[in-house]
Amino acid sequence: MKKNQSVLKKMGPYIYLLPCLAVFAIFLFYPFAKTIYLSLFKTNKMGEAKLFVGFENYADLLASKSFYNSLIVTVIFVLIVVAISMTLGLLGAVLCNRTFPGIRFFSTAYALPMAIASASAAMIFKIMLDPSVGIVNKLLGVDINWVSDERYALICVAVLTGWLNSGINFLYFSAGLSNIDDSIYERASVDGANAVQKFFRLTIPNLEPIIFYTLVVDIIQAFQSFGQVKILTEGGPGESTNLIVYSIYRDAFFNYRFGTAAAESIVLFLIIMCLTLVMFKAEGKGKDIEKSAGKKRNKRISKNAAGEGGR
Amino acid sequence: MAGLTLRNITKQYENGFQAVSDFNLEIKDKEFIIFVGPSGCGKSTTLRMIAGLEEISDGELWIGSDLVNYRESKDRDLSMVFQNYALYPNMTVYDNIAFSLQVRKVPKKEIDKKVHEAAKILEIEHLLDRKATDLSGGQKQRVAIGNAIIRKPNALLMDEPLSNLDARLRAKMRVELAQLHKRLQTTIIYVTHDQTEAMTLGDRIVVMNKGKIQQVDTPAMLYEHPDNQFVAGFIGSPAMNFLRADVKHNEEIYSVTLEGKTVSFGKMSGYKAWILKKKYMIREVVMGIRPEHIYTEDVYEKMEEKENLSLIPVTIEAKELLGAETILYFRVEGERYCSRAAADCQIEAGDQVNLAFDLNQAHFFDSESGINIVHKYQ
Repeated sequence: MKKNQSVLKKMGPYIYLLPCLAVFAIFLFYPFAKTIYLSLFKTNKMGEAKLFVGFENYADLLASKSFYNSLIVTVIFVLIVVAISMTLGLLGAVLCNRTFPGIRFFSTAYALPMAIASASAAMIFKIMLDPSVGIVNKLLGVDINWVSDERYALICVAVLTGWLNSGINFLYFSAGLSNIDDSIYERASVDGANAVQKFFRLTIPNLEPIIFYTLVVDIIQAFQSFGQVKILTEGGPGESTNLIVYSIYRDAFFNYRFGTAAAESIVLFLIIMCLTLVMFKAEGKGKDIEKSAGKKRNKRISKNAAGEGGR
Repeated sequence: MAGLTLRNITKQYENGFQAVSDFNLEIKDKEFIIFVGPSGCGKSTTLRMIAGLEEISDGELWIGSDLVNYRESKDRDLSMVFQNYALYPNMTVYDNIAFSLQVRKVPKKEIDKKVHEAAKILEIEHLLDRKATDLSGGQKQRVAIGNAIIRKPNALLMDEPLSNLDARLRAKMRVELAQLHKRLQTTIIYVTHDQTEAMTLGDRIVVMNKGKIQQVDTPAMLYEHPDNQFVAGFIGSPAMNFLRADVKHNEEIYSVTLEGKTVSFGKMSGYKAWILKKKYMIREVVMGIRPEHIYTEDVYEKMEEKENLSLIPVTIEAKELLGAETILYFRVEGERYCSRAAADCQIEAGDQVNLAFDLNQAHFFDSESGINIVHKYQ
């Protein structure tokens, strides 16, 4: 009887977790395992694994020029997206971090991109960037075929994505800024600091944890961008906007090479995982250095205190 | 270092509320001046206007010979200690102290020297490379002061700097602040709601209420010659007792009727008595008398001059032994008053005793305006 009870007690928490785990298993773990499995096979058009080839899919990938192109394009894309989304978000948050008439309107406007579906935003951008009727050409007084020109296509998609991602960043940064005590800015004013000094010596350092978190999320998000590429450029012109995720889509659903697509997915997963780990390591290292310095200091202080006590 | 002049300074908010009105004050160089008053009296607002953190609605603010109304906070060359210390949480103690010099691009060697000097004065040298967030309240307080004294600013502003400390530490810091002022020879403008701090620290005290200056004077003058009933009641602890009194003419003896009992002050001498006779005959005044000027009967017996002392029978309601003295609480017709007696006083709560009111030491205030009658007809 008692034994039963203790078993139940031990099992209890896992039983509560079961529904959640089930959802994860169906939508995450199973597809993930299946992807790994598929990446080791050649498939038929139905996506069924037919011929075990081991790591041949990976070997093919690493030998493929197109894949390297995808990697490079993706890296450039991620860099532009993260730079734009972080800058826009931070700028908006800093500007909206004070009260003035109409503040609610501006806050909503800056946060709005996060509520817009990437596909619909891409449609709107497509119209705006249209070479004959688009407003961008009219405003700039130029005649550029934005999305069909290899030089501009990637930048267009990246700017759009950066803007889309800036909404959530604005929200994070606003929350971070509202956590900073106003009185330190007042003290800084009296101390003689100008706006730039206040921004770089107070705002940025105090936002650091949130900036780091946003950076990680932004990078992961940027790697996974798909909708806007699909609608705006479809990976073209040429392969100039063929991001990894789009290339996976193309391999799987146009070329019916599910095995290759699966292998690409795994590579993308590994890249994102490594990057995230490295970033957390770097952040953790910063903390560790601080901590150990603190410990040393404390030791020194306690030694001093002991010395004084002895005297 | 410089003196400050405030001329007709007014702060009016957009909703029409006047936080400070018509504030006039001349602050001398190297003076330790205190703004004191109850919360909401406009003392902090005035300080923030001087600091440039709050816009001045009307009037002129001069630092030395410069009109600084429209000068930005950073260009006024002041330093300030905030109530919550406002330490920069991301910096070490060293950087917190050095910040105001760092933003002025002072050479690093000089900064280093000055930081260590300031830290030595405040005894926080061992904390210099600690994070500001890792400090106790008292240590934070010292760091905030360190930052304020590292430069030689025009004036040092302090906004209730001791109010977040416990009582023991506050008393200690009070003494240290006084010493610091002597040592630094800086103009200090200090805001507090605590009249003890005001009395012990200030060269001069500005008593404020409802946005207006009530009186500007030295601590002793404020205590002994309050301009009005507000100042009289605010300065001193326990507070001054106020009684309604009628001034009457009675067979050549002038007397006041305290709550139905006639108390003679026939032989009370001096200007106070003269004004009462001349201006307030058959009128009501407010009599203010400090707790230490209401004596117990045994003290009364030992006194030689008894002419202006009036014994009034009261029932003691409560007794507080404070160690060096005893405070006796009693009621006269519904109002609660208190008297300061010796520590060995044998009177207990519930006793019926006679207390002697020393009319020579009493202040009289106009019952309508609250102004001290002596000052009103000077």
